[in-house]
Amino acid sequence: MSQDAAARPITVSRLNAVIKGTLEQRLPAAWVIGEISQWKPWSNGNIYFNLKDKRASIRCVMWGRDAQRLPAHPTEGMQVRVFGHVTMFEQRGDLQFQAHTLEAEAAGGLWKIRFEKVRAKLEADGLLAPERKRPLPRFPSAVGVVTSAEGAAVHDIINVVKKRAPWVKLVLSSARVQGEGAAIDIANAIRRLERSHVDVVIVGRGGGSSEDLWAFNEEIVARAIAASPVPVVSAVGHETDTTIADMIADLRAPTPSAAAERVVPDREMMLREFSVVRQRMANASHRRIVQLRTAGENAMRDMLRNVRMLTRDRQQRLRASAGKLEALSPLAALERGYSVALAQDGKVLKRVAEFAPGSAFALRVSDGTVDCTVS
Amino acid sequence: MSEVDPTLEQRLDRLDEIVHALEREDLELEQAMKLFEEGIGHLRHAQELLNNAELRIERLLDQTRA
Repeated sequence: MSQDAAARPITVSRLNAVIKGTLEQRLPAAWVIGEISQWKPWSNGNIYFNLKDKRASIRCVMWGRDAQRLPAHPTEGMQVRVFGHVTMFEQRGDLQFQAHTLEAEAAGGLWKIRFEKVRAKLEADGLLAPERKRPLPRFPSAVGVVTSAEGAAVHDIINVVKKRAPWVKLVLSSARVQGEGAAIDIANAIRRLERSHVDVVIVGRGGGSSEDLWAFNEEIVARAIAASPVPVVSAVGHETDTTIADMIADLRAPTPSAAAERVVPDREMMLREFSVVRQRMANASHRRIVQLRTAGENAMRDMLRNVRMLTRDRQQRLRASAGKLEALSPLAALERGYSVALAQDGKVLKRVAEFAPGSAFALRVSDGTVDCTVS
Repeated sequence: MSEVDPTLEQRLDRLDEIVHALEREDLELEQAMKLFEEGIGHLRHAQELLNNAELRIERLLDQTRA
C-alpha cells in the first residue's frame, strides 16, 4: 500500500485483499495454544470457534476437509493446540485464524474421546458382553488371517503355523493396516473371509504407535469382527493399550505370533497325546476282556453250584420217601416175627376155614418161605 | 468314512467318544474290539496327517481394489 496521499483511493475489496495478502505473507503458519469456546460445526462441514486464553481471544475457522480428519470434536473449554495461519474474511473485514490441525493438549486427547464414543456405542449394542465371546475351535482345518501383505505379522503367523500345525490351511486376506482407509480395508478383508470356510480368523498387525494402530479402534472394524461367523482373535502388537478390536474379539492375543499359537495346536504335543490315547484304548480293551472272562467264569461256577444243590435236594427227598415206604412194607412186620400163610396160588390165607386138612401151603417168614401141610 | 474323509477335529472327537465308551461302558467283547480297531484307524490317519502335511497358503484377492 502506498503512503502517497495523492494516490488514487482504493475500494474496500481492494483494501481487504491487500490486508489478507499481507497477513498471510508476513505471519507464517504456527501452532497456537488456547482454550476452545463456542465450537460451532456447520452443516457444510466447516467449523467456527474461538480460541482464547485469560486475556485474549481470536476467531477461528476450520474448513470441512480439515475438520474431517478430526478424531472427535473438542469440548467447551478444552485446552488445545491448533496449527494454522492468520487470514482475513474479506466480506466482513474480520481477522481470523484458519486452523488446519487441532489436537487436545491432554494425553490421548481427541482420540481418547473418539475411542470412548466407539466403545460406548458398541457397549450399548451389547457387542462387548462377555457372553458373546465364542470358544476357539480345538482343531481348526483352515485359519483366516487379516493383516498387511507386507508386514512382519504375516510372516510370523506363517512360521508358527508351519512349525506347529502344517496340515492347517492359511487363508490370507490382506489389508492396509494403517493410514487413511485402513479401517475400511480391514473390515472388507474380514468380510471376504466369510466365503472361505475358515474355522477361525486372526486380525492384527505388528507393534506401532497408538496412531499406527488407530484403525483397530474404528467402529467399522469392530462391527466386522462382531459379524464374523467364526471366532476372531485380535493380535494388535501393543501390550499397553487395549484396542477396540481387542475388546470385541473372541480372544485377545498380544502379538500375531501369540495369536497363531493360541489358534493352532502343537504337532509334537498332539503326537504325544496320541500315544496316550492309544495306550488308554489298549488298556480299556484289555480290562474289558479280563472282565468278560471273569464274568464268564463266575457264571459257570454259579451254574455248577446250582446243579449240585438241586441234586443234593433230590437225594434227600429220595431218602425220606424210602423211609416212609419201608415203614409201610409188610416185610417190616415179618422182621418183627409175624409170618403170612400163602395158598399155592399165592392167595393170603386169613381164616381157619381156608386151611383144608392135608392141604399144602407156604409160610412166608422174614428170610424166606417154609413149605407146610395142614394136619 | 466312505464318502468324505472326516476332518482331524471329527476324528479326534470320535476318538474321545471311543476311549470314553471303552473305559466307561459295559460293552460286548465284539463291540469293544470293533471300537478299538476304529480308534486305532483314526489314530493312524491323524498321525499320518500330522507327519506328512505341508502348509498350504491361499491368498484372497481384493476385488474391491482390483
